[in-house]
Amino acid sequence: MIDVRNLRKEYGGFVAVEDSTFSVDEGEVFGIIGPNGAGKTTTLKTIAGLLEPTAGTVEIAGQSADSRETRRLLGFLPEESPLYEEMTALSYLRFFADLYDVPRETANARIHDALDRLELDHRERAIGDMSKGMKRKVAIARSLVNDPDVLVYDEPASGLDPLTTNYVIDFTKELAAEGRTVVFSAHNLYHVEEVCDRVAIMNEGRVVAQGPLEDLRDRYGSTEYHVFTTVDVPDAVAENGRYRRVVETMDDVEKIRSIAQENGGEIDDIRTVEPTLEGLFLDLAESGERDHTTHSTEA
Amino acid sequence: MRPRKLLRIARWEATKGVGGFDRGAVAVILAAAAFVLAVGFVGFTGGIALEDGIYRVGVAEDSDFHGPISSDPAFAAVEPDSDAVEGNRLVADDRYDLYVEERAGQTRIYLADSGGEPTEKSRAALAALRRSTDQYNDRQMFQETNATAAFPVVVTIQYVERGGTETVAVGGTSGEQGTETGGDTGESGSQDGTERGGATGDGDGTSTESGDTTGDESGGRIGAPSLGSFDLFGTAGAAGTPSEIQPPFPFQSLVLAFLFVLPLNFLIQAYGSSMLSERLDRRGELLLVAPIDRSDIVLGKTLPYVLVSLTITAVIIGGLWLLGGEAGPLSILAVVPLTLLFLATTFLGAMFARSFKELTFVTVTITTVLTSYAFVPAIFAETSPVAFVSPLTLVIKDLTGTSVTLGQFVFATGPPTLVAGICFLFGFGVYREEDLFTQRAIHHKALDALAGRIHRPRSVAGVVVLLVPFVFIAELLAVTMLFALPVALSIPLVFASIAVIEELAKGLPIYAGFVHDRYERTLSTSVVVGAAAGVGFFFAEKLTLAVQLVGLPGSRVADAAFQTGLGATDPIVIALLAFAPLGLHVLTSTLSALGASRGRSMFLVGLAAAVLVHLAYNVAVVSRLV
Repeated sequence: MIDVRNLRKEYGGFVAVEDSTFSVDEGEVFGIIGPNGAGKTTTLKTIAGLLEPTAGTVEIAGQSADSRETRRLLGFLPEESPLYEEMTALSYLRFFADLYDVPRETANARIHDALDRLELDHRERAIGDMSKGMKRKVAIARSLVNDPDVLVYDEPASGLDPLTTNYVIDFTKELAAEGRTVVFSAHNLYHVEEVCDRVAIMNEGRVVAQGPLEDLRDRYGSTEYHVFTTVDVPDAVAENGRYRRVVETMDDVEKIRSIAQENGGEIDDIRTVEPTLEGLFLDLAESGERDHTTHSTEA
Repeated sequence: MRPRKLLRIARWEATKGVGGFDRGAVAVILAAAAFVLAVGFVGFTGGIALEDGIYRVGVAEDSDFHGPISSDPAFAAVEPDSDAVEGNRLVADDRYDLYVEERAGQTRIYLADSGGEPTEKSRAALAALRRSTDQYNDRQMFQETNATAAFPVVVTIQYVERGGTETVAVGGTSGEQGTETGGDTGESGSQDGTERGGATGDGDGTSTESGDTTGDESGGRIGAPSLGSFDLFGTAGAAGTPSEIQPPFPFQSLVLAFLFVLPLNFLIQAYGSSMLSERLDRRGELLLVAPIDRSDIVLGKTLPYVLVSLTITAVIIGGLWLLGGEAGPLSILAVVPLTLLFLATTFLGAMFARSFKELTFVTVTITTVLTSYAFVPAIFAETSPVAFVSPLTLVIKDLTGTSVTLGQFVFATGPPTLVAGICFLFGFGVYREEDLFTQRAIHHKALDALAGRIHRPRSVAGVVVLLVPFVFIAELLAVTMLFALPVALSIPLVFASIAVIEELAKGLPIYAGFVHDRYERTLSTSVVVGAAAGVGFFFAEKLTLAVQLVGLPGSRVADAAFQTGLGATDPIVIALLAFAPLGLHVLTSTLSALGASRGRSMFLVGLAAAVLVHLAYNVAVVSRLV
């Protein structure tokens, strides 16, 4: 559905995105994560047709991202979505529905449906008089007025309180469940992990890793075994009357078992801990920085 | 462009804008509207009260002059005090500017003097008294039942348009100017002399007869409508009121024409704010994602302001019509390009400004420059074709019931319309995500706008061509500002202005291309870019030949500015005038390009060199031909 090939975007002399390639399948939820300045927002805006690539291509459903027809398929939610505060929520949404050539009756039904699902009342209230969470809901409703096949959400829960954040994330899941293709970024990696089928990790303008979470864990992370013994073993940490040692293979677990038995004890518990996205992200970001430092030193 | 989307955005802009006004803003708008209406009414009815009671005249109620004085609001009749005149002198003080003394059947009028010389104000008062007396007498005569007795001779005056007259007089006297204007002058002078007896000036003494009231309006001055006798700054001391300036100063028409421009200054404030608010906080980002063209957004947001301007214009014309005025469709057609010019420059300014503070600076600059552009030429509406630089002159002609030719209409409205279109075009270029929401300095954004249309060395030519209408208007404005000065001063200043304007128009796009790495910083590229800019400018510049067709016939300053070569008859000279500029523009553009390829400082050096070469060419070649 979305095909990004060798994307490069420069602002003046500054390279924001460099040689990034990834694709998103129809109906897939794709997350883009990375530290500040990694190029996430630039990538999302290029997909939304707001930015013209300096090099490379971005296609949606086989058409250039900045074509008028492509824009009809797309609902975009920027990280900061200042609205026209003097307008009411309904007039604002109707205005955008008109711009997308949505017939008035369809637009009204769609708008009220979206606002019902988002549980937004006070629809005739001026947007300027609404809370931040309510404004975000209006912005999300706006991204849906054209019933888009593709949703590009940049930090959809940015700046919201935990309750509204969870609400927005759950709503994003609902949209994905309807079969829409969703690309979104988030600082809170827990949300990405909860919603996304696949992720791309960006650092310094490049995609440093991408794929299903399981694959990334296999490739870049490792399963940890937390082994709890009744007696002390080398490199173990005392915890609540037991001793905990972290190892990465079952062979190591067997070695600990032997040592514990030799010392008159035994293994009390073994817990398997899968690598988290945050751990992967930190590892990759750190390694990217290290690589960058190395290159700089070599240069 | 899709009209339905454009209209939807226009409707949204209109309703959003109306909703955005608070009570304070509405109060200011209403106050401004009331002011406009008041000025319009007063201006149209000729009731400008600025001169009411400014001349104090000591005059007895039984004096023959009491009638004219009391009927003219410019005068305040004061009870005469015989002690005021001492030894045939009326010493200037706060009591009298003039003193009318009736003694032994003779009337003597004393002018307040200071140091033995009549004061400027007393001279002006005397001139006004002459005019008022003349008008008073005419009114009295019109009341006579026997019209033949009142006006035994009726003179029909037919004004004939002068052809190819000199508009710049070189410190000439009336006699010299009379020679320049030829036979028409004689006709006018003769008629005037017959009517008024050809009495002499106003500062010649302290007395006059009651029937001899118009001596200062001698045939010589009316017959010599050259600017050499146009006392623009009132330094001749003959009179201080606009109506005393010869040829007539279209004061009332200018005041009324002002009505058409004043609302634009308010309008661009609202328009600029609306455009800038799209940029601040990224409010307009979501419109850019919608399936509409950028031009739909911009034109849709602009349309309501154009309609408001036209509505205001129509209302003013309607009001003037109700008061018996003659303004009509021509005035509306003349206001359209002005409206577009105000809005287009404001749009571009709003694209460049980074804050409302900067926008205020931009709009004030626009207001000042464009109001000058509209008004300064229009001052000469009755005297010189240079007035047609401004569309406002068309409004004045319309108000005074004077017809204009199609050529004059095109000359007045074409350049501002073209400039407005190009401003919008440049604005469209930067109406995109990465330009709208950045905080780059204004001059960087201006360079961005220029560079947006440069993709390779040759495309510099296209951008330079787009700038030629700006150059044309800037040069016309320079001519307008300078042509009233003595030729010895105005021609060199025009040469310098032209050199700076044209070299900037060619140099800036070249520099913008280098700054944005549109081409390599090599010697060969610099030469190619310079040549492209020079050739592009040369051919587009030929558009200024319109000047020869309709614009500024006979003006030496205009000839110097545009090298029209009106006086040239030698084919070699004509060929030189036609093609020498090509070499000049290529050379100077290349100088700028060579500098620009080496950074900003060297660009300024290259540009300065280009200006000097251009100036030298103007002095060496053009000055010998004009």
